[in-house]
Order: sequence, then structure tokens, then C-alpha cells
Amino acid sequence: MDSEDDMHDANDAESLDDDFYSGETAMDSDDGDAADYEFIDNDSDDSDDLLSRRSQQNYTILNEADIHLRQEDDIMKISSILSISHVAAAILLRHYNWSVSKVNDEWFADEEKVRRVVGLLEEPRALPNVKELTCGICFEVYPCDSMSSAACGHPFCVTCWKGYISTSINDGPGCLTLRCPDPSCGAAVGQDMIVSMVSHDDAEKYQRYFLRSFVEDNRKTKWCPAPGCDYAVDFIVGGGTFDVTCGCSYSFCWNCTEEAHRPVDCDTVSKWIMKNSAESENMNWILANSKPCPKCKRPIEKNQGCMHITCTPPCKFEFCWLCLGAWSDHGERTGGFYACNRYEAAKQEGVYDDTEKRREMAKNSLERYTHYYERWATNQSSRQKALADLQQMQSTHLEKLSDKQCQPESQLKFITEAWLQIVECRRVLKWTYAYGYYLPEREHAKRQFFEYLQGEAESGLERLHQCAEKELQTHLNVESPSKDFNEFRMKLAGLTSVTRNYFENLVRALENGLSDVDGHGGSSRTGGTRTLGAGSSKSRSSRSKGAARSSSGSRATDDSGQHWSCEYCTFANAKSATVCQMCQQRR
Amino acid sequence: MTSPSASSRKALSKIATNRLQKELMEWQVNPPAGFKHKVTDNLQRWVIEVNGAPGTLYSNETFQLQVDFPEHYPMEAPQVIFIPPAPLHPHIYSNGHICLDILYDSWSPAMTVSSVCISILSMLSSSSTKQRPNDDERYVKNCRNGRSPKETRWWFHDDKV
Repeated sequence: MDSEDDMHDANDAESLDDDFYSGETAMDSDDGDAADYEFIDNDSDDSDDLLSRRSQQNYTILNEADIHLRQEDDIMKISSILSISHVAAAILLRHYNWSVSKVNDEWFADEEKVRRVVGLLEEPRALPNVKELTCGICFEVYPCDSMSSAACGHPFCVTCWKGYISTSINDGPGCLTLRCPDPSCGAAVGQDMIVSMVSHDDAEKYQRYFLRSFVEDNRKTKWCPAPGCDYAVDFIVGGGTFDVTCGCSYSFCWNCTEEAHRPVDCDTVSKWIMKNSAESENMNWILANSKPCPKCKRPIEKNQGCMHITCTPPCKFEFCWLCLGAWSDHGERTGGFYACNRYEAAKQEGVYDDTEKRREMAKNSLERYTHYYERWATNQSSRQKALADLQQMQSTHLEKLSDKQCQPESQLKFITEAWLQIVECRRVLKWTYAYGYYLPEREHAKRQFFEYLQGEAESGLERLHQCAEKELQTHLNVESPSKDFNEFRMKLAGLTSVTRNYFENLVRALENGLSDVDGHGGSSRTGGTRTLGAGSSKSRSSRSKGAARSSSGSRATDDSGQHWSCEYCTFANAKSATVCQMCQQRR
Repeated sequence: MTSPSASSRKALSKIATNRLQKELMEWQVNPPAGFKHKVTDNLQRWVIEVNGAPGTLYSNETFQLQVDFPEHYPMEAPQVIFIPPAPLHPHIYSNGHICLDILYDSWSPAMTVSSVCISILSMLSSSSTKQRPNDDERYVKNCRNGRSPKETRWWFHDDKV
């Protein structure tokens, strides 16, 4: 492995060579105890670190306390910048969807307008200074001290205030923008007044809405969509991918909140999900595999038997499957039970061509879809299985293994990491099938390249899975510590890191739309001739592992003018050929 | 909620009764111009006669409003509909339902029957065409079985008329 390192293109620092799945590990140049310690050191970093390495951390996971703190922080910030009360700052921030900068901008652009819009009065007005007042809701007369008002001074009795506020809280999050009940007045009712007036339960409900608003109305944050998860994710838009792994370990796409789906983009995912759930697929199936009964029009699937069909009761119409004519017109003279010469004759005349063609096409497209869907779903269930295995590993096996092999559990983290990697790879692999489904048929070169990469990914993952599952078992079922446990450790850790690299590259390549394939096609137009894909699988595979790195400058140098490279499949054809020898595309 | 009177099926609370008695007393002393409360012994359902304001499309026309009060009036809005035949108006459906925000989302307990009546009359007076809402047929069909307008998710498109 070391010797081959030199052969790498300098630009391909991360590229993997052909032997990457040979079972040798990234650590094999390190031997001896010192290296071992170092290895353990690296590995004993806690899982947070693992998380951050994978995600480049352009997001933060927030629990309820964090959300609260941030909300408080922002309110304090606005309160001190604008020199307004805490309550007023909260009202302002909520109105501007918790954007501190927006509040600042609007406020300093036109304070008066902002105050009017959100209902913040500059000078609070006290209740009229009289002995008794009439409540504007129940119209009863009360002594002044049992009346209350928002900053506007419109008096309502405490009972009516309580009814007003609690009705609003129980109507939903609209209570966060509560105004004075007087129809002509827009004065905001502050949080302090609300909380002090209502029952404990209602106050809690209100606080809940208030917290939720900070997450839901804020453009930077979203709740984790996993059922039962209370974490929110604060995301910095602009850097890197949308994939987010929540504290609950659920991975999802921050943009569309579907489960994480790299390397496929959000549009494709939503198309794919629609397709999976859509009735249209069922309709396609019905179209491809059934015919309507000529009398009652119910679709009938013929899975065996002769051409004599009797529709189910109550219809009971007897007809010929081929020509859909009444069976009474059939018999020996039309070819018997297994043929229909009326149909054959009509087909010759072209009567059935159109419907037949449509049926045939629907059947083909359905078969194609089924192919991808089955593999997509299989990886999905493999992933679920791997997740369950991971949990079992963490709950029982690790302890047992630590016992059997006399290793502290802290030194067995490489196993958890391997399983996490398996789970992640299953996810990526799953989505490559949606990717494949939408990869246009006519892009032969891309399809070939894609299928090659996918195949490699599959076998690499199998190797890792095998090692994490089967080989681990042998170390689990021993009486005394196995001598080769360290070897196993290095092998599994190595496979994990190799597989991780491969999949990261795969994801990047697919996200770039396999632009390498395009790139070569493009370079041919400017005269550079490439030999990639010229039938030599050896030379192709050694490079393709590196996946979507842009072509390096050195590649343009073998421009000999003896060949032209096909725009579609990049095959280097002899100068004399006008049609690509590989994919039959015209030059 | 299957009959028009469903929202008033539950008896009025003490607070609601008190408040309605006060409103009725105030109405008798100082009724809004153009309206007449038809005397019944039912405090929970008021029937009010509306006379189209002079000089508007509805002058010399008389309509009947039916106001049903919920248990927790005035915290909850009353249900206000025209008893058909309802006035021809772009915001009034032929089954008498009225598309007016203060009857639904924008209701405030500080509003009264009297203030609602005035709003409805002003809505009539400012109309420039006598026609049904565009979706009248569809809406009325959906409201069979006596659905209350308070169950409708109203969408208050314009406040010009």
C-alpha cells in the first residue's frame, strides 16, 4: 500500500487506490505499542467529536434550556439596545420573527411606525382617576382597585381579563399577539400581565407557545422532526450541506425536514416520496397487468389459465381475454381456449397497436421503478436492522466483550463507530437508488460510471458489515481473551475509515452530478483527448475511486490529436470514426 | 354542531346572562338606528329587524338578523346570520351567512350586539353592487345539514365593501 501511495496524483490526496478494500487498514504502517496507544487515544474522543467531524458543524443542537437561554439573551439584547422594557422587547422580537437585526433596522428606521404596528405605547396611560369604573366587557361597575388595563388604560374588571386571556390562550398561539379587548385600541398585552392573571396551567401553556414561537417563527431554527424528540436545531445557512444529526441521533435534512438524503437533492426526494406513495404507481400496475371487463369495466388481472374469462358476480360476463369480445362468439372456429384468431387478425390490421403499446410501456416503466424501489426499500430495512444491532451492541454485547477480552469499554468505541458507519452507509446507499432512478437513460456513460461506483460501495459496505457482525462474534464467544483481538480492532477500525472515505467521496461525486464524466466530455471539445473509459477497466477504476475531483491540469497534456473523445461516454475513438464505437453516438 | 342553533344549545352562563340583560336594557333605552329588536322571552336568541339605510342600494328593504349567543358570551362571539331571504351582497351568502371578520377571528368581548349591528349596516350601505359572493353555490351546498358559519374558516379578502 505504501509503495502505491507515490503513484497517486498529487491532487488526489484523498483518493483511494484499488486495494482499499483488501482488508488492510489505514493504521498498518503503525505497529508496536506506542502506535497502539495513540490509536486508543484518538479513538477515546467522545461521540460529540465524531458528530462534529461528520457534519462540519454548521448547526447547533438545542435542548429546551438552550432555547430558553437564547430567547432570553435576544430579549435582553433588544431591551438594552432600544432601552425598552423586557416585555416590550419580547413583543417586538416575536413580531419580527425573533430576528434581532430586523428589530433593530425597523426600530431605528421608524420607531413610531413600529410602535403603532406592534401596539407599544410610548407613554403608558393609567386608569382614569375616579372612584368607580364600568368594565368594558361585563358592563358592571367596580371600584377602581379591582380594575386593570394594558398600557392604554382601557379598564376591564379582573374577572373579564382572566376570561379574555384564558380564552385566547386556549384558542392557540394567537395569544402571543394579544391586544387590548377594546376594538378601537391596538395596545399589546404584555407577557407579565398575561402570566399573572391566569391559572397555572394556562400560564404554562402560554410559556410553551412562547418558547415554540422562538423555534418555529425563527428562520434559523427548526424542531427535530423525529417523533418524541424535543431538540431544536439552529442552522447556519450557507456553509456545507443541509444534513443534520440531532442529539436524538436522528439524521434529517434541514432544508426539507425529510430524513437525511445526501447525495440526492430535496426535489428528487420529494418526487421519489410522492412516487412511492402515489396512487399513480398502482394505476400503472393496473394498466400494465389488467384489462377492464368489457361489460362492467372493473379491472381484471389474468394470472393464469385460458382466454375464456368469466367476470366475478354480479357481472358474470363471459368474454375473450385477447379480443375482449363476448365468449359466445368464440369457440373452436376462433382457435379454441388458448388463442383467438379474431385478435390475431385485428392485430395484423393494427387495431390493437396503440393500446398494446401503451400497456407495454407502462409495464416497462413499472418494472424499472420496481427495480429501484425494491433496492431502496431493502437498504432501508437493512439500515433499521443495523440500528437495532447497534443498540443491542451498546446495551449488552459491549459489556460482554469487555469482560471476555479484558478491555475497558472505553477502548471498544471502535465497534460502535463501525456500526454507526454501517447505518450511515445504508442510508446513503438507499438514496443512491432514488438517484439512479432519476438518472436519464440516455446518459450511458454516467449510468455506467454510477452503477460501477454503486457496486463498489455495496461490496465495500458488505465487507465492513461482515467484519462488524461475523468476526466480532468469534471474539465474543471465546473463553479467554483472543490473541488476535488487536488485529481485529485494527482491521475493523481501518475498514470503518476506508468505507467512510469511500462513501464521502461517493456522495460528493453524485452531488456534483458525476461531473467528471461531463468534464471529460467537455475537455474533448477544447482538443484535450482523454483515455478514461477506453475499455481498460484497470485504469478507469484506479481513478474513479477518487470520484468527482475536477480534472487536473496534467490530463490535458496527452493531446496527441490521434483520437476524439465521445461527448457522451468519453470513449476515445480513432480519428477516422464518425460514430462512437462504444455508445454509437454520432460525433 | 349540526343545527343552526347548536352554538346556543348550552345554556348561557351567569356572566353571559348578566351581560345580555344589560345589553338588552341599553338597547331598549338607546337602540341603534335602523334596527328593531323583536321581543321574545328567549334571551339566548335575538331576532332583529334591519332596515336598509336611506340613499343606499338597500333602502326600503327589510331583513331579519338572527343572533345566537354561546354559553361563554361575550368571551366567544355570537353567531349572527340573516334569516333568508338575505340581502343580495357580495359578502352575504344566500343561506344568510355573513363574511365579516368581527363575527369570527376579530371578535372582541368589548363588542356588543349593537356594535355588530352597526357594522353590518355599514357593510350593506357601502355596497355598490347587488350580487352574491362568487362561491355562493359551492359554499351553501357545503353548509347543508345546518353547519354554523362559525365553523367556516373565513378568508376575509377585502374590506372595501
